[in-house]
Amino acid sequence: MDDDVSGYITNNNAVISYEEQAAITRVIARVGQLLQAYNAESRLIEQTTERLGIAFGLESVEIALTSKAIILTTRFNDHCVTTTRTMKAHGIDMGIVCEVQRICILAERKIYDLDQIKTRLDNLDVPRYNAVLVACFVALSCACFSHLFGGDNIIFICTWLTSFIAMRIRQWLTQLHHNLLTVFFITAFFATFIGSFATGFGWGNNPELIMITSVLQLVPGFPLINAVSDMVKGHVTIGMARWMTATLLTLSSALGIVLAVQLALLGGWL
Amino acid sequence: MNTLLMMLVDDAVFAGIAAFGFALLFNVPRQALLACVLFAASAHAIRSLLLHFNVPIEWASFIAATLLGLATVPWSRRVVIPRPVVTVAAIIPMIPGVYAYKTMTGLMTLHHQGYSVELQQQVVENGLLTLFILTGLSFGLAIAPVLVYRNKPIV
Repeated sequence: MDDDVSGYITNNNAVISYEEQAAITRVIARVGQLLQAYNAESRLIEQTTERLGIAFGLESVEIALTSKAIILTTRFNDHCVTTTRTMKAHGIDMGIVCEVQRICILAERKIYDLDQIKTRLDNLDVPRYNAVLVACFVALSCACFSHLFGGDNIIFICTWLTSFIAMRIRQWLTQLHHNLLTVFFITAFFATFIGSFATGFGWGNNPELIMITSVLQLVPGFPLINAVSDMVKGHVTIGMARWMTATLLTLSSALGIVLAVQLALLGGWL
Repeated sequence: MNTLLMMLVDDAVFAGIAAFGFALLFNVPRQALLACVLFAASAHAIRSLLLHFNVPIEWASFIAATLLGLATVPWSRRVVIPRPVVTVAAIIPMIPGVYAYKTMTGLMTLHHQGYSVELQQQVVENGLLTLFILTGLSFGLAIAPVLVYRNKPIV
């Protein structure tokens, strides 16, 4: 890389110096990192970073995605700037994905310049829903599943209670920054264990539904769908990685279920 | 006919509420929540309708997901929100979670209790069902960008 190149002229007379190109690259890398950390699919990351680069007048942005890092190169008049960012997984947050996409579109329409985008990315402030409210509605989701599988009203209420407790445990463990696998294992264990009491007492028309549906909140739907859509769109390696993550999560929830069932058998109420 | 309609409405309402919970969990922005519920409800009702007419569950999931994927394109262009934000939450009620768990617990029981043909049959059947329903769902969602918007971004 030539250090003495201060700027050069393109067809539309735009001048981008090496420092400017590096600054743009940093912003694009940040965007890619955010999108990947909050579980956007690979195609979206690829498209967004490329569009952002072109919006700033670069020739192209090439990106290589791995499950743990992104590597991207911006090109301008045969000058390349390459950078790597490691990815710290932050869980699923579609609010941030939307916000980053919106910022990219603002840049494309020339409403925002580089500095404005940088400040906005540094101060990303996406509101989160209240944790108790989320737990209430996720529990309601599980209760709805029990209804869809043919449970009656008693099953509905028991499932809601069981998954509400499980969801609160899950939120508490997540807050303590435990490994996701541990969180899934413990949550599945408690959901099944509490649900097994209803089976022991024989409440409702099909008490086993409570155990089955209250762990459905743990189904790794997002990684699974992302995995297959990544593979369909050609990102096979990262798709495989996501598939493996989802399998591990399912496995650790299944371990929790099995442990709870065996304890319930030992206790003699199943 | 009336019972079928009632069944579909019941199905749609409960699938919609289920998707709402997961949308909150995924922190879907406020302006997309209603869309999420409506898309989920209609997709799940379509799948149940197809299942009622004895369409295999993989194909029913695929068709429902395809329709969902295509329906979200104009919506996503209007509100400038990427499609996965709503499609994934909307598809959660159709994810074969029970089959996935049954596969895993079956595998563990196979190890614990020793080999038996019936158990192996259950594991393989549940595993394949999980795999094919999931593939159907994600292929369906991917139809719009893969076939219609080949290299153009939707939003």
